[in-house]
Amino acid sequence: MSSESVPPLVAAQLNYLLTHFPLVVKIENKWSGSKYYPGFLDRFTLVISYCLDVIKWDVVFDSESPFSAPDVIFGPDDEKFQQFLVSRDEGEGDSKFNMKCLSDWNSRDPTQLMLLIHELRDQYMSYQKKRVAEVDDDRLKFEISTIVAREGIEMQMSSGVDKPEEVKFAVPLLDVNINKMVPVYPWRHQQKIYLQIVYPVEKKFVSTPSAPRLKLVSTSELKTLFSIDEVKLPPWLNGMCMAEYLPHLEESLEKQVLEAVSLVDVRRRFIEALALQFGRPVEADSVLCRKATFLAASGVFTFLVHVLISTQFPKQRPSLMLQSSQHFNHHGVPIKSLPLTEFPWSPRWELPHMAERICDYLTDEAVNFKKHCNEPPPQH
Amino acid sequence: MEDHSLDKVAMSGPALASTIQRFSTSPGSVDGLIFGHVSHIPPTLTDDSPNSTSSATLIATVTAFFCSGSTLSFYNSSGRVDPLSLRRLVQAQQAQSPSSHFLGWFSGRRRTHLRPSLREFSVSNSLSSNPTLNFPIQNPPEGSAAAPTLTPSLFLLFASPVTDQTIHTHEYRAYQFRPSKHSFEPKSIQIVNIGPAFRAHYGNFNPSSPFPILPCELRVSPMNVDRGEESLDQLKQHNKDQSELDMCSEGLDVGSLSRLMGSEAANYTAGVEDLYEKMLVKIETLTRLVEQSSTKVLEQENHNRKLRYKAARSAGLE
Repeated sequence: MSSESVPPLVAAQLNYLLTHFPLVVKIENKWSGSKYYPGFLDRFTLVISYCLDVIKWDVVFDSESPFSAPDVIFGPDDEKFQQFLVSRDEGEGDSKFNMKCLSDWNSRDPTQLMLLIHELRDQYMSYQKKRVAEVDDDRLKFEISTIVAREGIEMQMSSGVDKPEEVKFAVPLLDVNINKMVPVYPWRHQQKIYLQIVYPVEKKFVSTPSAPRLKLVSTSELKTLFSIDEVKLPPWLNGMCMAEYLPHLEESLEKQVLEAVSLVDVRRRFIEALALQFGRPVEADSVLCRKATFLAASGVFTFLVHVLISTQFPKQRPSLMLQSSQHFNHHGVPIKSLPLTEFPWSPRWELPHMAERICDYLTDEAVNFKKHCNEPPPQH
Repeated sequence: MEDHSLDKVAMSGPALASTIQRFSTSPGSVDGLIFGHVSHIPPTLTDDSPNSTSSATLIATVTAFFCSGSTLSFYNSSGRVDPLSLRRLVQAQQAQSPSSHFLGWFSGRRRTHLRPSLREFSVSNSLSSNPTLNFPIQNPPEGSAAAPTLTPSLFLLFASPVTDQTIHTHEYRAYQFRPSKHSFEPKSIQIVNIGPAFRAHYGNFNPSSPFPILPCELRVSPMNVDRGEESLDQLKQHNKDQSELDMCSEGLDVGSLSRLMGSEAANYTAGVEDLYEKMLVKIETLTRLVEQSSTKVLEQENHNRKLRYKAARSAGLE
C-alpha cells in the first residue's frame, strides 16, 4: 500500500464525480488533515468549469469520521454565496436549495458527492445571475432581458480591489449537436462553441458605452475537427446588442462547421489518392483523416512518410515528415527529417494531381534525406 | 429584531491558549461552545486624545469554553442545530458558572483555509435564528427602554495552514454572525494577558472556581476547641466547612482560618503561606488524577480510532 491514499469510501465518491460529472471537473490538490495518519488524504481542491473560467472549491472530509458528510469551503470572493444558499434553503419554490443531500449523507452511495457538487454549481449559476441582475447599468439590463431565455447561458460578475467591474457572459452557440455530425468519433464530452462576451460596467455619466470584448471558445476536443482560431468575428458596430449580433455570427459559424465536416471527406479522398502512389498506408486516422503514414523506398533506402493534414486542407498544404527505417541516432531513435512544407502546391489542383506532385517531390527529397541520414552525427 | 454589532472580542490568553491546545491535540476536527458575557463599556472621557470616539463600545468577553473533541456535537452535517443536545451542553457548563452566557461556538479544522465553510455558516445562522437562546447585555446604556439582548452570534474559527511552508502553526479569526444581514462580520480579538495594560480587564472576569464563603468567627480559637464544649450543631457546621475547604486545599484545618483575621493576623503570614501551599498541593493531586484518567481516555481513543479505520477500509472493500 502506498504511503498516501484516499480512504476507499471517499475515493469511490471522487471517482464517480470525475467520470460522471457532465462538465469538466478536476482535482487540483489533495492533502491530509489527519494528525495521526498523515497519509490519509481527506481534503481536496476541486476545479470546476464555470462560464469559460473555473471555480475552485475545497471539499473537506474528516478522516476521523469517514462516514460523515463533507463540508465545502468556497472561494475567497464568494462569501455572499453561502448567504444565498442558506436563504434558498429557508425559502420556497422550485429553485430551493436542498441541504438534504448533506443531512441524509450516505457514505456508501458513491453518487452523493457528484449530486452535491452538481446542485451547488446550479445554485452558483443562479447566484451569479442574481448578482448580475443587480448591476446598475441600463445596457446590461437590456442585454439580459433579451438573451436570458437562451438555454445554457452562464454569466459571472467579476470585481476585484484593483480591477474594474465586469460582467462576463458565456453564450453557447449553434443549436446543432456537433457530436452527431461525426458520429464515429469517440467524443468524451458534448462539443460546443461558446461566445465569451465581457461587458465593462459603465458609469452612469458615460454617453456612448464601449464595445464589449468578444472571443470564441470551443471545447478542446473540437479543435481536431474545426479550428476556432481561424474564425473571423464579425465587427461589433456601435450601439449594437447581443440579440442583433448573435444570429449573424451563428449563421456564419454554422456554415463553417458544416464545411469543416465536409472537409473530412476531402481529406479521406486525399489519403486514398496518396495510396495510389505510395501503396496502402501503414497507419491512418480513419475518423477525422488528419494523418496518414506510408512506407516508401528509394532504391534500397526505405523510409516512412508521415503526412499531417490540417483542418484548413486543401487551402493549406499538408506537412510531410520523413523517418528512416534504417538509420538511428546515438540514442537509438530513428532519424527524422524536419517538417517539409516547401513543395509545389495549389489548392485548385485535383486530389490525384496533388498526390502525384507530392510523390514527385519526395523522389528528389529522398536523396537529400538519405544523404542527411548517412552524415556522421554532429560531435558534441 | 435588534441586531447589535460587537466592537471587539476579548479573550484571556490562557483561555485562547487552551482552546488551541485542545484543537491541536485532537486527532481530527473539533467544535465546541464558548461562554462569557457581553457588556457595554461607557465612553471614557480623556483629555489626551481629543479625537477618540465618544460612543460606547460593546465588548464580548470570552471566559470559558467547552470543547466536544469531535465535530457535529450539537448540529447535523447540513448545519442544522439540534436543540436538545445544545441545551444539554449549555446547561452542563452553566451549572458550573451560572453567571456566564452562551456566546456562540467555535470550529477547529486542520490544514484548511481560514474562511467559514458552508456548514459553519448554517450553524451560526441556525443559532442566531433561535430567540430562546438570546441573553442580556450587561451594563446597558441608560435610557434604553427594554433590556437589550444578543443572539449567540460569536464564531471563532481555528485552522492550521494548508501548506507546510509557513512558519506559524495555527491561525484563528473571530466573526460575529449578523442575523439582519445574513452574514459573518470579522471582529478583532484582543488577547487579555497579565500586565499593567490589561489591569482594567480583570474587573470583567469572573472566577470560575471561587473560594467558598466560610464563617470565621474570631472567638473560635484553638483554645476553646480543646475544651470540647461545642454543641452538636457547631460540630456539624465545623465538619461541613471543613469539607468545603477540602475542595480547595489539602490538609488545612478550618479552625486555622480564623487566625488569618483580626489582630492576630499580622503574626500569621506563615498561616497564609501554609494555606496557599496546601491549595497548590490540592491542585497537584487533581492534576495527577486528571493525568491518569487522560492516559486511560487516550488509550481508549487510540483503540477506537484503529477500529474506525478498520471499519472504513473494510466498508470500501465490500
